[in-house]
Amino acid sequence: MFTHLNVASAFSGHYGVTRPELLAEAAASQGATALAITDRDGLYGAVKHIGACLKLRIDPIVGVNLTVKDLGRVVVLAKGQDGGIGWAALCRVVSAAASKGKPIAITREELAELTIRDGLALCTVLIGQETDFGLASIARNRLLAAKCLTEWRRLFSAKGSLAIELTNQLTEPETAGSTTVAARMLALGDSMGVPCVLTNAVRYLSPDDALTADVLDAARFLEPLGSFTPQPNAQAWLKPPASMVALAVEITNDRDRAKKLLETTEALADRCRLNPPNDCGWGKPKTPEKATLGIDGNPFEVLWQRAYSAIDWRYSDAKERKLLDIRHRLGKELETINKLGFATYFLTVADVAQMIRDMKVRIAARGSGAGSLTNYLLGISGVDPIEHDLLFERFLSTERSSLPDIDIDVESARRHDIYRAIFKRYGSNRVTLLSMQSTYRGRGAMRDSGLALGLDEDQIDEIAANMWRFSARSFRSAIAQKPELAMVAEALEKDRKMNLLVDITERLDRLPRHISMHPCGVILGDATLLDLTPVERSGLGLPMSQFDKDDMDPMGMLKLDVLGVRMQSAMAYAVRELERVKGETLDLDAIPKDDEATFANIRSTNTLGVFQIESPGQRELTGKHQPTEFNDLTIQISLFRPGPMKGNMIAPYLDGRHGFAKAEYIHPDLEPILRETFGVVIFHEHVLRIFDKMTGCGLAKADEFRRSLEDPRVSASVEQFFRQKAEARGYSPLVIEKVWEILKSFSSFGFCKAHGAAFALPTYQSAWLKTHHPKEFLAGLFTHDPGMYPRRLLLAEARRLGVKLLPIDVNVSTDEFLVEPDGIRMALNDVAGMSEAEVARVIENRPYNDLADFYLRAKPSRRTLERLATVGALDSLVSGTEYNRGDILARVRELNAITKRKVIDANQPMLDFELLERLPTGNTAPTKAEIVAAEMAILKMDVTEHALEQYRPMLEEMGVVHSNELVGLRNKSEVLVAGIRVATQTPPMRSGKRVVFITLDDGYGCSDSTFFDEAQGRCSHILFNNRLLIIAGKTRRTGVNGVSIMAENAWDIRELWAQWQARRPELSA
Amino acid sequence: MTLINEKVEVSVDRAGSPIGFSWKGGLYLVASKPVRWFARKQWWVESARVQRGIGAGVLEVEMWRMIAADSGKKQGQFELVHDAMQGIWRLVRVYE
Repeated sequence: MFTHLNVASAFSGHYGVTRPELLAEAAASQGATALAITDRDGLYGAVKHIGACLKLRIDPIVGVNLTVKDLGRVVVLAKGQDGGIGWAALCRVVSAAASKGKPIAITREELAELTIRDGLALCTVLIGQETDFGLASIARNRLLAAKCLTEWRRLFSAKGSLAIELTNQLTEPETAGSTTVAARMLALGDSMGVPCVLTNAVRYLSPDDALTADVLDAARFLEPLGSFTPQPNAQAWLKPPASMVALAVEITNDRDRAKKLLETTEALADRCRLNPPNDCGWGKPKTPEKATLGIDGNPFEVLWQRAYSAIDWRYSDAKERKLLDIRHRLGKELETINKLGFATYFLTVADVAQMIRDMKVRIAARGSGAGSLTNYLLGISGVDPIEHDLLFERFLSTERSSLPDIDIDVESARRHDIYRAIFKRYGSNRVTLLSMQSTYRGRGAMRDSGLALGLDEDQIDEIAANMWRFSARSFRSAIAQKPELAMVAEALEKDRKMNLLVDITERLDRLPRHISMHPCGVILGDATLLDLTPVERSGLGLPMSQFDKDDMDPMGMLKLDVLGVRMQSAMAYAVRELERVKGETLDLDAIPKDDEATFANIRSTNTLGVFQIESPGQRELTGKHQPTEFNDLTIQISLFRPGPMKGNMIAPYLDGRHGFAKAEYIHPDLEPILRETFGVVIFHEHVLRIFDKMTGCGLAKADEFRRSLEDPRVSASVEQFFRQKAEARGYSPLVIEKVWEILKSFSSFGFCKAHGAAFALPTYQSAWLKTHHPKEFLAGLFTHDPGMYPRRLLLAEARRLGVKLLPIDVNVSTDEFLVEPDGIRMALNDVAGMSEAEVARVIENRPYNDLADFYLRAKPSRRTLERLATVGALDSLVSGTEYNRGDILARVRELNAITKRKVIDANQPMLDFELLERLPTGNTAPTKAEIVAAEMAILKMDVTEHALEQYRPMLEEMGVVHSNELVGLRNKSEVLVAGIRVATQTPPMRSGKRVVFITLDDGYGCSDSTFFDEAQGRCSHILFNNRLLIIAGKTRRTGVNGVSIMAENAWDIRELWAQWQARRPELSA
Repeated sequence: MTLINEKVEVSVDRAGSPIGFSWKGGLYLVASKPVRWFARKQWWVESARVQRGIGAGVLEVEMWRMIAADSGKKQGQFELVHDAMQGIWRLVRVYE
């Protein structure tokens, strides 16, 4: 038997090759009873390693490969079975090394201090060939090696705190990794009484993986292979015991000494075997201490009391019967929570939610948590689960004991403030951010592979651009099949390096690439949190755990997702502007959910800017669906997902809704469950209820069945259970057969209704704001830019709604879009290239009297000054109607021509001749078309008028239809539409044929055109390269308010305009 | 030191260590304990394919160093490369 004590997994970024699970499996099958993981610079793979070892019933050992400042890399192994003090010391060592930023390192003194307490070793430090001692040994400098070893021994004198690591990687004699060097280190260790252990400094599972390690080295060094010293050979693999014994014999040249070396190695391994629950707190839920949450007494009683007393707040006008239902359901939920011991968890999340609300930040729950009445009563969620018929069991049940996920959406602009507030409230010893490991995927894998081979970057990019919709792992077979890769296929036949590129790209696929901050995860624990997880500095400056989201549940850690949502920021901004300008206070969470005007507005499909339902596809579906109540929004959002679309659920639902087809319920028992969706199974909640109804299994068990439907290994036993129980309850074989077919195919298609309802809330709120306070809402959208469209389309929407966009004015504009009585004032930071500092200076130094004053005090760059003048931001600095924009521009160019900017001196009257304000006159004012073109270039928006306006005479003559007139036309009318292309989508089609969807904005709204194969053949060169288009086609009615165009041809407007002008010179003048 | 690159016939013991080889018409017998190590190859220059599973043979190669003498008692240090996959030995360096 041999235990490997130095093993880097793939979580050693750009170093290790093999995932921890595979290493553990291999070790177990070699007969090992323990295996170490020692990733470089962190415990990134540790939790996955422990989990894999537990599954295989071998003992995990955990350590880290760390740089000791000025002395080289060592391995630090945690002592095990000591109640967690070894594990805690290891975590603290890693945190100490990683908290100071790059390069990650620790001093030897600090390492000794953290790993030895009261003369007891909490960790063992292995010093091998990468240390000063090892290098001296390689250099055959015995004197220096002995001196180095003495220094190590001086600080690490505690028993078990230090060992010499021998590796024999069969390299050329006398070089690093060679037998001779190992033998020399052994001799010195023996003579100085320092124990020696044997490792193989493993980087990969099998010799073949060494090739991948070469490529990772190139990625780490950021240099092509051949320009740095590569690994010496392919020996750093997880060798079986027999090979390790042979290596020991080769070093010692003495069987007895070899035996002793292996025994010492096993003794150290035994010392480091971890008992995960006792050493690492494995699987034990951790939440902040009661006192931290301000709780006295039993947490469950506190939770009970808080939830019950909130019934009055949430259900103030409920009748006695409903109150009974509410109390009954709450009782059941709380019972489950108590059984699972999660009371403190709920109180913690409620505490965070309350803190966020106290910060006056908008908050909403997302995900299955919205199905919990407890969450609703505690103010964690804003969706009433009773009104929307949501199930608690989908969120939490006694059948599962993992901590539930409660995800919170907040205003994106305030997210980092919230993180900091959480750290402040609970203390930085109880909180860290969550990390995530990104992995190599297609393009990234190919770029790093190309870099390793020293290929031309442009060439790699060109090939990588075609790498989508297939994984890098199947690169070679994709090349053979995909026509767009024909060029690559051809190159493969004659270019050797291309072949290598394909091979190593496949090797890199799915390996961990680098660690970064999780976009929304926060870990909350008690005061021992930093004894359980190592932390490093995140990009935000706050500490971040080295564990990722998959590690949370096994470690019993409470993860809270606090996700920044731009729409929440936009809505909060609208509410604030409403208060600032009109003095109206608005509680968006208290608006009635049945406002007819709001639904009428949604049904018109003018949903641009509305959360979740603004995309062309959603607008088309809205036209067909015609929502009339909140639940319709929940259904629509849930339907418009890849699953339901692939599962063909939309058409039967719409047919049922519009009475085109009679709803099919299979059995009268299912009618109450599926009435809301006309017999179509859409929601997870439907499946739970059907299982429960037909088998009597209970909703909690039903959710377990639902989850196992996705796993073919257990779904057979679920099927058996379902058929037997349903038969016993008297359902006919035909009914059972039909229902099972639906349930079986459902698994990959359905959606959690609670999640849909949680999304529908901001959808409704944003639609309500757009209906009742369009100006404020649009100002919020402009300021926080939450949507999928370019801003100029919002401008078109503003025009359609009669909301005027006021030009930038340096005396009024700020860094936000301000609501004014006449419209919305554009923000300064929309000027391309204007820096934050410039914006701040403009705001700080106003008001400005004239151009020279602005030039002197706001100190804009020449480029910014000219751009501001061009878009009219300086117009207000000039009084008198005799001056035009051309004169202002002329003056600005004069100012810009001054080589040295004058410094104003308050004591000196300004007498500088150059700066005396005197405006030139008689310059040519720019034309409207010129102004619009400049606005498009500088602001990316055609503010003065729609960019299509200048072509109007031609468009009118051609009989081009306005987009808002389409809905009034008959089906299959021949039409011409024009506009600016705002969206192009080429979704994958089942047939494999490409379909192009193009959305045009013409200032009256949007038109959506569909190009099939034949039409694409006529005009594909125009579709992708032009912004201004005219499209010819036939109308196709998609619903009451839905019309799209089956396109037949398309032209570039500017080309037609040139021809038209040539023909009609008198008109175009 | 002379750089050579010649195929040679090698006889080995049961453990695979060379015991003798023929070169330039002479038979050389190994006179020291041969030392084995693995040296690396530049597959990015030499190889046509490196797909998963191709094996470490494209990356590393087995090397042997030994003192050997021919019947005329001319002694030197020799380095041999062993391509285990093809069973081919090449003499690469001689220190005489």
